[in-house]
Amino acid sequence: MKGCNHIKQIIDEADKPDQLPFEISQHIAGCSDCERFAGERIALRRLMSSADRVSPPMNFDAVLRARLAEVKARPSFEWFGAPGYLRLASAAAGLIVMVFAAQYFGLFDSPRTSISENRPKVATPSAPTQPGESLQVGRRETPFAGIRQSSSRVSRNRQNPVANRNRGTGSALVAEDDGGVVLVRGQNGGIDVQMPTVSVGAQPLLYVSAGHRTVRNVGASF
Amino acid sequence: MAAVTHQAQAIELSGSRSVEAANDHELLAAIRDGDEIAFQELVRRYRNPITNFVYRMLDDYDRAVELTQETFIRVYTSASRYQANYSFSTYIYRIATNLAISELRRRKRRKMVSLFSPFTNDDGEAVELDPPDLNALQDEALIENERRRAVSRAITSLPQKYRAAIVLRDVEGLSYDQIAQTLKLSEGTVKSRINRARNLLKEKLSAYI
Repeated sequence: MKGCNHIKQIIDEADKPDQLPFEISQHIAGCSDCERFAGERIALRRLMSSADRVSPPMNFDAVLRARLAEVKARPSFEWFGAPGYLRLASAAAGLIVMVFAAQYFGLFDSPRTSISENRPKVATPSAPTQPGESLQVGRRETPFAGIRQSSSRVSRNRQNPVANRNRGTGSALVAEDDGGVVLVRGQNGGIDVQMPTVSVGAQPLLYVSAGHRTVRNVGASF
Repeated sequence: MAAVTHQAQAIELSGSRSVEAANDHELLAAIRDGDEIAFQELVRRYRNPITNFVYRMLDDYDRAVELTQETFIRVYTSASRYQANYSFSTYIYRIATNLAISELRRRKRRKMVSLFSPFTNDDGEAVELDPPDLNALQDEALIENERRRAVSRAITSLPQKYRAAIVLRDVEGLSYDQIAQTLKLSEGTVKSRINRARNLLKEKLSAYI
């Protein structure tokens, strides 16, 4: 036999307290306390359900339509109503774009010092006047080693008067920051040196070909 | 996949089937596609129960109507984000419950005092002013009216957390499962709250039971 508390719980949770299972009804018939509890619950639920139900006013639909039209006419602020993860993703994407843009336009670059001040004491190559003339390398043993160092350094040589002079002849490239590299047409091992595309950051893309042209900027990473 | 299904439902709704025959989810799909008639049908289905529910929560008819309209506006504006994980009635009751509870909290902050309950007992609970009626016995209609008012006042005097549960169960007739989903509570908690609410109501309405 189940306890009275359990029976009362069943009575309380029943969808229809006046239609209880046989076992419960049997218990109620023999237990005055549970019978009284069941009677109270039935009366209370009848009282609650008999409470007057209100209806919306006649103009409910018209007012709702007007309010809805007002809401539609308002400027859209769906961004603020969007789920959090969408807002976070959009903010992150925006931040990434801003960082790349800032890097591309050089906002993060440190102020450049004069190349002549930074230039190490190395042997300055004499300007070759003819193709095939002597090649002078400071501390570098091969022309490729200098190029491998840094593409940005090569780009800076555009400000180098020596390089400019060489560029004028169209025969050689002088890339010298800390040693310098001289590429002379026809004497670079017979190999065209092509720099791989610079894909890190927003540095200018460089194309180096000793056989055709010294250094040229072929674009940017984006 | 879900979007395709909703689109198919919307097309079907605008085609051969009438809005009266469509279920709530189909109507929502049509509303998502901008079907105003589907929205009107949804309003027609739920305006009475939602108005009654909010009125039971607030005991303020004008504000209940305003909040019911606000409920429908939210349904309309967030139709694109609606996910048919459970029944629409649960969804709309949840919106209405949240609005009603927000309103009750706002009133509590403003310390709005009812003319019927300007006094508090030792426990800090509002005590209604209920002067004895010394007039002659009124007729049946007036007694019935008074009984209904007593029920309304008794519901309104319940603590907020019990009020929503008991109104959804005993006035609106929702199942325990639906109430649990609406209030985002476990079914056990809902049953416990309803039981306590009934015990409180039994004391308040002992004269009518």
